[in-house]
Amino acid sequence: MTDQRILSENSHPKPRWYNTIDPITKLLMILDFSLLSFSTHRLLLEAGFISVTFLLLLLSKVSPTTLKALGFSLFLILTMLVIQGLFYSKNQVVLLTILGVNFYKEGIIYAATLGSRVLVIILSTGFFMVTTSISENAKYLEQTGLSYRTIYLLMSVCYILPEMMRNMHKIQMAQKVRGTNPQKTLMQKLKSILPVLIPLVIKTLDQSMERSISLQLRGFNNPKRRALATPYHYRLAPLAHISLTMIAILLIGWQIWSKINLFL
Amino acid sequence: MVKNQSISLKNLSVKYPGSTAPQLKQMTAQADSGQIIGIVGNSRSGKTTLCQVLSGVIPTIISAKVSGTYTLNGHSPVDDWPAYNQLTGVVLQNPAGQLSGLADTVADEIAFDLINQGIQEAVITKRVNQAAMQMGLTAQLTQHPESLSGGQLQRLAIASAIATDPQILILDDPTSEMDPVGRQQFFNWLAGVKATTFIVSNEIDDLCEIADLIWVLQDGHLVAQGTPHQVFNHLSANWQLPAPTSFQLAQKMNWRLPTSDFPVNFQELREAIHATN
Amino acid sequence: MKMQGLNHANIWRFKLTTATMTLIPAAVGINYVAKALAEGLKLPVWLGSLGTFLASMLAGPVAGAISGFINNVIYGLTLSPISTVYAITSIGIGVAVGVLHAKGWFSSASRVFVSALIIAIVSAVISTPLNVIFWGGQTGIAWGDSLFALLVANHAPVWLASFIDEFVLDILDKVCVAYLAFFIYRQLPQRMVRFFGDDQQ
Repeated sequence: MTDQRILSENSHPKPRWYNTIDPITKLLMILDFSLLSFSTHRLLLEAGFISVTFLLLLLSKVSPTTLKALGFSLFLILTMLVIQGLFYSKNQVVLLTILGVNFYKEGIIYAATLGSRVLVIILSTGFFMVTTSISENAKYLEQTGLSYRTIYLLMSVCYILPEMMRNMHKIQMAQKVRGTNPQKTLMQKLKSILPVLIPLVIKTLDQSMERSISLQLRGFNNPKRRALATPYHYRLAPLAHISLTMIAILLIGWQIWSKINLFL
Repeated sequence: MVKNQSISLKNLSVKYPGSTAPQLKQMTAQADSGQIIGIVGNSRSGKTTLCQVLSGVIPTIISAKVSGTYTLNGHSPVDDWPAYNQLTGVVLQNPAGQLSGLADTVADEIAFDLINQGIQEAVITKRVNQAAMQMGLTAQLTQHPESLSGGQLQRLAIASAIATDPQILILDDPTSEMDPVGRQQFFNWLAGVKATTFIVSNEIDDLCEIADLIWVLQDGHLVAQGTPHQVFNHLSANWQLPAPTSFQLAQKMNWRLPTSDFPVNFQELREAIHATN
Repeated sequence: MKMQGLNHANIWRFKLTTATMTLIPAAVGINYVAKALAEGLKLPVWLGSLGTFLASMLAGPVAGAISGFINNVIYGLTLSPISTVYAITSIGIGVAVGVLHAKGWFSSASRVFVSALIIAIVSAVISTPLNVIFWGGQTGIAWGDSLFALLVANHAPVWLASFIDEFVLDILDKVCVAYLAFFIYRQLPQRMVRFFGDDQQ
């Protein structure tokens, strides 16, 4: 379920090229690539964006999670090509005929454009995912001035999940030993997950209570707290942030401007 | 011992909102700084509530009605909790719930309290290594906290609590998931600790070896306090507490101390055997 | 009970207490696990908003909205990038649950049904434009999408087809989640409800 790789990455071998790019730059890259792919309708350009983001991913490393996300989306894109190719409201020109069924050019192009955008987002997010670790992100965000509360809110899920999953498997095993019958109706199925879900929810909330007490006992909100250094040295981070943000603003501005022009 | 350096509880009562009966009732007790106080009693006797009051969790974090007065080493847990909190090291019952939630390694986890106090990184590394060594976690320093066993997690919680070198240690059943060897090592270590220590535990034998005082709780009342020797030589059946093994053995063998009391720990047992023969 | 004391004026008052700070990631975790269970049992519902429901019920609409938002951002950055944009839907669900709960619409089984309907409408209204922008109107759930295909083939407007596709899925899901949350909330110990509901540090 959860990405074991990003969860257990704690050793720091020698830095690779992508380690010299800071996490915020990588996040801004996702934003910029997504905006770029949304600002064009040309399939050739979309193909270009896909290649660039795919290359970034290939030059870093490929993780099973990214492949899973890709696989899921590719399947959806395929159904999108079928549905839009058949039924898109602006369909006029027949592109190909399979077993007597007509697939229209307009629908296929429409679905392909949407699909390309989805792929660009997945590939650029994949690059962020496989090249950063949770603790690196946490340390960097704290250095940039985010409060520990906010960072805890955003990142602790990644640490809580594996434990919840383990608890769930424990409870499920216990239920299996008790011998539950295969359920048929939705109501029966819903009822059958209650013996797993209720103890798990209570245990999880109990743990949150305890963690809330413990964090305060351990002084997490002490004003003297100082952020730790990140394991890597980043190059040109401020420049990258400014230029990527400028690009994002320009792309959004251009989009808004062209929409306004439509009405003028 | 200077008066304001000691531990004093006067008529301490605690009641959670919405509950019918108080969880702690009119507790009055004394101890000296630097002593180890073993807190015993069966479940729901109020041991955890007492730990939460002593650490200031009640009423600062969990709201409850607290009456009576209490000071520890001259400090009140209520008046300036953040300052008081820096003097204490606390280990709660469930070790997994005490992880900071954002540490990749055991070393990072132990360092958490120190980072919060704004201590220099070089000092942090030194203290982390010391705390890990004391709890036998040196080999696990680079491991992920999630990969530890229950007993190791408890040792990690203790290591985190002692890394800041607290004056007062409050430990709520810190060995429940440890194996016998780990538990033994822990109590041997605790015997040498300088901090004032409150420890809730069911390990009567171990407590009798190291505790200066035993407080017996029953249904929210402090029903007995004194040295292990005094308390277990006047054990009441109502408390539903087992006598220490030394005591049981000596009673069966009729090995008495010169005072005609029974021994409660190994040292006393030896004296008793000596005195009998 | 604390919750009955809440009135219109103060349900929006929000301070990120430490209790709420640890509740929100737990709520996200519950979302994940509930979703995994539903997938494991091949249920025709997602259940992926159960934690958001509980966070809203325990700590109010803002806490629920933040849970929903973080849920989709984390999901987007780890498993399914596109789900990030549906963070808006999750925020809507969190707010709707929090308000309905504070107004007493989670107090009985029959009222929960009304709440579920309202939440499903909120969810579908916010999701539909996103479905159209990203997936041409599809939801990615086979039987909802077959309905979508059928409607589009019969020249229904894409917006309407997409809304119906989303709504039929949402209504089933939100009714299930609302009853699960209602049932679980009643099983929670009072000390827990008080801990997360209290205005404490």
